[in-house]
This record gives sequence, C-alpha cells and structure tokens, in this order.
Amino acid sequence: MSHWLLWFGRWGPASYLSHLDTARALQRTFARAGVDLALSQGFRPKVRFSLPLPLPVGAAALEELAVVEVAERAPAPASALCALRAAAPEGLPLSRLAACATHPRPRPVLARYACEVTGDAEALERAAEWFAAQREVMVERVSPKGRRTLDLAKYVKDLAAVAVPVGARLEFAVRHGRDGAARPQEVVDLLARRAGCEPVMHRLTRISVSYEGLPRDTESGGEE
Amino acid sequence: MQVQSTASGRRCPSGEWPRDELEDLLARVTRPGRYVGGEFNLRRKPGVRPRVVLSYPDVYEIGMANQALQILYAAVNDDSAAAAERAYCPWPDMADLMRARGVPLWSLESQEPVATCDLWGFTLPHELTYTNVLEMLDLAGVRLRSVERGEDEPIVLGGGPAVADPWPLAPFFDAFFVGEVEGRVAELVAALGAPSRAARLEALGRIPGVWIPPRGVAGVAGAAGPPARRQVFADFARTMPVTRPVVPLLEAVHDRAVVELMRGCTAGCRFCQAGMWYRPVRERPVDMVVEAAERVLAATGCDEVALVSLSSCDYSAIDEAVSRVRALRPGLRVSLPSLRIDSAAVQLARFGEAQRGSVTLAPEAATQELRDRINKGVDETQVVEAIEAVFRGGFTGLKLYFMIGLPGETDDDATAIAGMAGAAAELAKRVARGRARLSIAVSSYVPKPHTPFEREPFAGEATLRRRQQLLRDALPRGVKVSFHDVGASLVEATLARAGRGSDELVERAWRAGARFDGWSEHFRPQAWRTAALACDVTLGEPAMADVAAAPWRDAVDPGIDAAFLAAEQARALDGLLTEDCRGGRCGSCGVCGDGIETEVVA
Repeated sequence: MSHWLLWFGRWGPASYLSHLDTARALQRTFARAGVDLALSQGFRPKVRFSLPLPLPVGAAALEELAVVEVAERAPAPASALCALRAAAPEGLPLSRLAACATHPRPRPVLARYACEVTGDAEALERAAEWFAAQREVMVERVSPKGRRTLDLAKYVKDLAAVAVPVGARLEFAVRHGRDGAARPQEVVDLLARRAGCEPVMHRLTRISVSYEGLPRDTESGGEE
Repeated sequence: MQVQSTASGRRCPSGEWPRDELEDLLARVTRPGRYVGGEFNLRRKPGVRPRVVLSYPDVYEIGMANQALQILYAAVNDDSAAAAERAYCPWPDMADLMRARGVPLWSLESQEPVATCDLWGFTLPHELTYTNVLEMLDLAGVRLRSVERGEDEPIVLGGGPAVADPWPLAPFFDAFFVGEVEGRVAELVAALGAPSRAARLEALGRIPGVWIPPRGVAGVAGAAGPPARRQVFADFARTMPVTRPVVPLLEAVHDRAVVELMRGCTAGCRFCQAGMWYRPVRERPVDMVVEAAERVLAATGCDEVALVSLSSCDYSAIDEAVSRVRALRPGLRVSLPSLRIDSAAVQLARFGEAQRGSVTLAPEAATQELRDRINKGVDETQVVEAIEAVFRGGFTGLKLYFMIGLPGETDDDATAIAGMAGAAAELAKRVARGRARLSIAVSSYVPKPHTPFEREPFAGEATLRRRQQLLRDALPRGVKVSFHDVGASLVEATLARAGRGSDELVERAWRAGARFDGWSEHFRPQAWRTAALACDVTLGEPAMADVAAAPWRDAVDPGIDAAFLAAEQARALDGLLTEDCRGGRCGSCGVCGDGIETEVVA
C-alpha cells in the first residue's frame, strides 16, 4: 500500500456538495481514472480515503487536502495525477499529488476564509472592529447533540471587513484545536446581528488550511 | 475555460458560475447541489440551436435515476446537431423562493432559463407527477395551456409510460410522443427547424407516434386528431445502450451503473401496464451487453452494474451475461433488479458469496386463485422455495411485495398475505437464525389503460382501508409492513383512466397547493378533494371518463388488439393462465408484424 496526499480545489457547482458527496466524487474520480484505492479489512470493506477538514456546503476552496491510500498496483503519482485530472468532474480541479513514505496524519490548525455579506458596509466594518477588541465573545451553538456555548474570540482571529458593492467582504481565520473550532456561519451570524443585516454568507471561500503533522517533503509541494 | 472571481479575490477556473441571483437562492435552500449540474459526463454545447431541455417532473435525485432521460440526453447531444440540457422539479423550498424572487426555472447545463429553449421534453412516469409538470411550467414562466403560448415559447412535448392516457395533461402539452422515441430523435430535431411555431407543430404532427392534442380555446373543445400509434424501437437489439451516462455528484436513489439488456416482457401479468406497453421482447446480444458494461463502468466509476429490464432473469443468456460481466473486474457487484419467483432459487445461486444484502420477491398475491387470475403463474411451493433460497444464500434482508385491491380479491385473499409473511418469518428464524430482516410492502392496485384490467373497477377507499387494517391485525409480531397511502392511490386511480376535460381537475388541484403528490410529506389530499368537488369528480373514479368506452384509445393506439385484452380479462375471471409467447403459443396480442418482432439471443 502507498500513502498519497492529494491537493484539490472545489469551485463552481462542486461548491454545493456536502462533505460526504465531495469525498464520494473524489473516490469516483479515482475509479474512473483506473487508480485503485486500498480497502479496509472486515465484513464491509471501505476505501481508505479521508478529507481531514470538512467544507461547509456552499463553500468554494482553493486548496484542500485528501489523504489517500492506494492499492499496490496503483501507477506512479505523476501518471496517476494525469489520469485523475482527466477523470475529475468540473469544479474539482486537482493541483498536486505527493507520495509519502509513512502514513500521514495531518491535523488542521488554522483555516482562512473569505465571504460576502449583504448589508451596510460601515456597520459590518464597525462590528468587525468591535469583535477584534473583545477578549471573550460567547455564543451558543445548537446542534442535534444539544446546546453548548463557545468563545468565538478564542477561535477566530484576523477578522476584517472591507466594503464591496453588495455590502462587505469578510476575511478571517479560524483556529482548529483539539477541542473543536468555530464555524464560519457563527462568525457571520454574530457580525450580521450586530450590524443589523441578514446573516447569509455569499461566495464563502476557504482560502487556505495549515496542517500539523504533514510529512516534511510534502510541505514544499512534493512529487507531482 | 473561463474564470470566476471568488470572495477571496482569487480566480477560479469554473466558468461564470453561479449567476448572482442563483447564488443567493442556493445559499438559502436544502441540498443546493440539486440545482447546479457539474456532474461527471455532463455535455455542454453552448450557443447551439435547437436547444432541447429534458425534464423529469420530480426532484433531482429521483430524476437522475431515470433511464429514459439518460437515453435521450445521449441521443440528442451525441447523435444530433441539437443540444440537450436538463431541468428537474425544484423542491418546495426552492420553488417558493424562486417565485418570491421572480427567478425563472433554469437548466443545469447552461443556467439559461428553460423558457428560452426550443423544445421542452417531459418524461411522464406516473400520475402522481402531473401537478409537478404544472409547477415546472409555471416556475419557468411558460404559459400552462398550449393554446395560450406565444411564438417565442418552447414546444412542450410529453412522453413516457403515463402517455398511455394523455387526457389529464393534454391541454398543457403541445404534443405527445407515444412509445419509444430513440428511432425518431433525428426527425424531432429536424422539425424544430421549421420557421414558425405553427410550422414546427405541423412538422411534429407528421412524425409517426406524435399526437397533437385538440386545440380547444377558452372552454370550446377542439377536434382531436387520430390516435397516435405507439412506436417500437425496432433497432433496439442492434443499438449500444448508454455507456456515458451523467453521474450525479449528490447521492441519488440508485448509485450504480446500468445496462439495459432487454426491452419488453411477455410474461403476461394482467395487472402490469409496462408488460403490455413495451412489447415485444427484444434482447441485446451478450457481447454487446458485456462491452457496454465495461464501458459504462469505466465512464461512471461505479463498483456495481445493474443489468436492467422489466424481467432480467428472462433474458435468454442471463447466466452467460452475469458471469462474463462479473469477470470484468474482481469484486464487481452485478445486480438484477427483478427476480422471478419460479426460478429464484437458481437465480440467487448465481450471486455467489461476493454479494450480500437484501432481495425483493414479488408474489403479488398470497392465494393461488388470485395469482392465477392475474396470470402470475407461481405456486405456493415455488414461493416457499424462493424465500428459503434467499435465507440459505446468506442475504440479510427480504422484502415481499404484494398488492391489494386486485380484481376479484376478497378479504380472505388480503389476510392470506399475513399467512405467507408468517411462513417467511418462520423460515427467517429457522434458516437464517434470526439474522435476516423481513419486511412486507403492500401497495394498492390501480387499474391502468391498455391492460386486460383496463375496464375493471378500482377497489375504492373503504375496501382498501379495511383490507389494510385486516392485514395489520393478522400479521405476526415482528414483521415490518408498509402500505401505500390510500389517498395517493385514489388520485392515481382518478387520473390513470381519465377522459377529456380531466385537465381541469389537475389544474385546480395544483392551484390549491398540490405538488410532489408522490411524497407523503408533501401530498395534500385536501387540495385534491377541493379540486374534485369543484369538478364534480369522485376521487377513485376515473375522472370525466366512461371506462367502457376506453377514452384513452381516442388518443393512443398501443398496437395491442383490444380483443386480446378483452379475452385476457375473460380468462382472468375464469382463473386461466396464459403462457409466455416467448416459449409458448402466440397469444395474438397484435404487436408483432410490420418489421416488429420478438428478438431473442440464440
């Protein structure tokens, strides 16, 4: 078995896929390209394929990471990448593929986002400035698992709002710790509430993700 | 490839996607991936005319599994100068938002409004999608009634099995195509080149199989043209099936590659409209099936291939086809969507150790007398052997499918289902040692046109509800049972054999809020009751039709002799079986002749 890291973008129609559908589309790309993924053992074998950091539905991304284990008979990464690019659907462009000597276990530590919010740009800019001045911003998260409070100030940094024709473009970074992370929608909900606008994100894009635990040879681009 | 700016200021190579007003809608609805396209094997032919939009009047995930649309999409895009795009019925959250914002329905490929296409083709699967057709026309901004449409509006063409009785939708369509369209695509595309809407309709009307509904205006009925003869694709066995289907990125209802290995079924089940409608049997050669399977697997990336037809186990070389397709790849799953009970034990052995999961068997009726009436020629012993074979084969689930409300059925016939379920539960316990799940699905029978039971009465609401309750009470504990909604069956029965003028019922129901009638969470019986009251129609009775006069024959000539259907109805009353003409005597159904004949693999 070989371990590969695959960097890909998610744009256009593919932005509207869920995390599982994105994973399924990439796995299908491998099948269409004739690159066999390794399977787990057991009664119901699963492909060894993971996306370390899920993307929200509706979010584009410039460079995402997939961790892949391929079967022994898989071709060399360079020729595999050519075949995979030809087999990928539009909206999931594949940029790099790197083979790893050991099983990589990347853990996301920081993700940078940008999005647009419709409304009064000045009010949104003031809300962003207010947020930057806070040491603690507690919000409540409601999920099927129940309610919990979290401190957005602990997870969100470099928040900035810049006026654009429809309202404001927000840029921010989300720290990912072992205790979780903030969601982009929570940041937008908070700012929109303070600015008196509708909390709807438009053109959300994940610009980059930094990882811990990436093999050193892949950080500079690795094998293509 | 064009570029698009993202909020980050960097540019994405994904075309001008999405338009601003669509992006805003997509940010607010459930499963936005339904409305964006971008799938594997999607075709784009920008700027090409004529532009055809193909629609299935249900939500994307259901519509993407429809094979007719895949066949037409490939035929128009790959074998003609026209461009084919797709549009499905928006889910209510999206539909409401589109109306509120004034955004018209768009096609997935170009994101251009559907209303700007030259031809809008609908495949009509069943009666419970009729209100969705009106919903889609309205969302697209296309006028509902053909006579009201202007020069710039598309020709709206209907096809598919529900065209067997086109009256409930007749005024909403400019034309219907009756039967299998593959052999007529070039003629249809050519007709769109005529210089005016009237000329295009006239050209369409000259194509065999096309029926132009009477063009009555504002309450004045127009004269109906002659019935259209159902078209049979005579070159089916010599034509490669679709090998580059569009593969959804969202999870759809059937996530597998599909090869249609045979069309038609002559088993002669008297309740089955498809069995009559798609005659005669035509089988593709095994070599073609295997090559198609190899190509479709490569194009889709699926790890399962289904060899589909109305009754795949009747394919003459099924053993060879399954074993050769399975040999294409190690671990490849091959599925057959329908198993015949009379040979299920043998068929199940074909699947071997590699495939496990659940199996559906369809005894249809639980007593021998009723099975003989419907020409389902299996006996009790064969049913028990088949169930035992499922559990011995290691399958982890078994669903038994039955109908209630069949002609001649008694309460005892319905409760006998519980007896068969009990026997199956016992086998599950004894043979599968409790590891297999057993479930029973019970639907309500609705008589359909062009079948031997086309003139039989619908069982009715009270009878169906009583038999459901009797069966519920009689079922042994631990057996899971699901029933088809009687309210939806009433609507189906009202429309399946409806007559001229029944379009008013459909339109009133849609205006009262009916849409997605096949979805229990969206089915609104009150909308249908209100519409029925206004139209003086009794739900469950064929709307505005004298069933004895078979009004559907005024529009559609199925190519099946009415005398054959009447004779089969009489044989049903006497409980007489009619053999499959493939291996037995010709039943004189009238389909064969004029170059159309049964074609089976030697």
